[in-house]
Amino acid sequence: MLEIMNLKKSFGGEQVLKGINLSLEKGKVLVVIGPSGSGKTTLLRCMNLLETPTEGSLSVGGLRLDFSPGQKLGRNDVLSIRKRTGMVFQSYNLFPHRTAAENIMEGLITVQKIGKEQARHHALELLQKVGLVDKADAYPFQLSGGQQQRIGIARAVAMDPDLLLFDEPTSALDPELVGEVLKVIKFLASEGRTMVVVTHEMKFAEEVADQVILMDNGVIVEQGTPQQVLRQSTNERTRSFLSRLNEQRDI
Amino acid sequence: MSERHLEIFFDSLLPLLKAGVAFTIPLAIISFVLGITLALFTALARLSNLKPLVKLAQFYVWVIRGTPLLVQLFIIFYGLPRVGVTLDAFPSAVIGFTLSVGAYASETIRAAILSISKGQWEAAYSLGMTRGQALRRTILPQATRVAIPSLSNSFISLVKDTSLAATITVTEVFQTAQQITAVTYEPMILYVEAALIYLIMSSVLSYAQSRLEKYNDRYHAR
Repeated sequence: MLEIMNLKKSFGGEQVLKGINLSLEKGKVLVVIGPSGSGKTTLLRCMNLLETPTEGSLSVGGLRLDFSPGQKLGRNDVLSIRKRTGMVFQSYNLFPHRTAAENIMEGLITVQKIGKEQARHHALELLQKVGLVDKADAYPFQLSGGQQQRIGIARAVAMDPDLLLFDEPTSALDPELVGEVLKVIKFLASEGRTMVVVTHEMKFAEEVADQVILMDNGVIVEQGTPQQVLRQSTNERTRSFLSRLNEQRDI
Repeated sequence: MSERHLEIFFDSLLPLLKAGVAFTIPLAIISFVLGITLALFTALARLSNLKPLVKLAQFYVWVIRGTPLLVQLFIIFYGLPRVGVTLDAFPSAVIGFTLSVGAYASETIRAAILSISKGQWEAAYSLGMTRGQALRRTILPQATRVAIPSLSNSFISLVKDTSLAATITVTEVFQTAQQITAVTYEPMILYVEAALIYLIMSSVLSYAQSRLEKYNDRYHAR
C-alpha cells in the first residue's frame, strides 16, 4: 500500500531526511516515534506531498512517483497522491467557517463532486462513528480540542483514502481529552485501515501498531514490531529515547 | 432660515436625490464591484510566483496609488481624446474609480489572504483540492471576513469620492448642487443639503457593514 525508497528531503542546505526506506501492507498500522527534530513529521508530510521530497521514490496505492533534485512535480501526480491519502493534523486545521458536518462534507462536495444531500448523509454517519452526531451543526470554535480532532479524523476518513496519516494527533490536546481521540484511531485500526501515525503516546503505539519505526536525525534508527522496538531493543539510541520519555512522564 | 430658504431646500431635494439615484449610487456600485474584482486578480497576481505578473501588479498599484484620483479622471476624460480615445463622462468616471478601488483594495485583499494560516491551505490540499478550489472554498471565505472592515472603508470613501466626477461633467449629486446654486445663489443651503445626502448614503453603508460583520462572526469566538 505504501512503499518509500531512499527518500531524502533537504530544506535549503540542511538534509532533514537522509534516505528513508519503508513499506507498509494494506490494513497495517505503522507508528513513527522519535525525538522532536528527528524528521518524522517531515516524513509524514512527504507521504501526501505537502513537502516535496528531494530524492527517492514514493508509492501509495499503486501510484509510484520518483523524485530528483530540481524536478517539478506534475499537478495531476500531486492530486492523485493526495486523493489516495488523508491527513489528520496536530492542530486539527478544521475549516472555521464551516460546521462540523460541513467540514466533513467539504472534500466530498469539492473534490469528489458528490451531491450535497448525499454528502451530508455520509457526514452524519461518520459523526455517529466518532460520537459527535449531536454536534453536526456546531462550528469548530464551539467544540473542545478533542471534539475538533475527532471531526478532523472524520473529515480525512470521509474521502475513504488508501492511507491515513496522523501527525501527532493528540499533542495539542489537554491530557484528559487524549483518550477520546486515541479511541477513535484504535477503532479505525480495527476496521482494517492502513495508517501511519506519528505520536509520543507509547502505550497507544504498543496497542495499535503492527510496525514501529524510531527516527533520529533524519534516519530510521530501528524498526520492527512494537515488542521489538519498545520492549526489547538493544539499540543505544532507542533505549535512551525511551528512557528520556519515561523520565518526562515521571516528572 | 426664511421661508424662501426652506422652499429652496425642499425644491432642491428631489433633483438632488434623483442625481443620487441616477448617477452617484450606480457610479459607486458599478465601480466598487468592478474594482473589487480587479483588486482580487491584482492580489492573486501579487501572490503568484510568476515574476512578470507580480511586476505588472506592482506597477499598476504604484501608478494608481502614487497619483491623485482627480488627475487620473482628467487624464481619462480630457486627455485620452487627444490620443483618439473619446469616452462619455460616466464611463470615464467608472474607469477612473474602478482603477482606484482596484489598486487600494488589492493590498487589503492580499493582506487578508496572507492572514489565513498555512494550515488552512494544507487542510484543503490534503483533501485533494487544487489551488483554485482551496482558494475559493477555504481561503477567500475566511479572508473576506478579515477584509470587510477595510473594504467597507473603501466603499464609503468611494461614495464620497464620486463627487469628483462633477469635475468631468457627470451630473451626480454635487454637480447638481452646483447647478442649482448657480441659479439660486444659496451655496450654504445646497452644499449642506448635498453633504446630508452623502451622509445618509454613508450611514446606510456603515449599517450594512456592521450587519455583515455580525453575520461573519457567526463562526468566530468573541
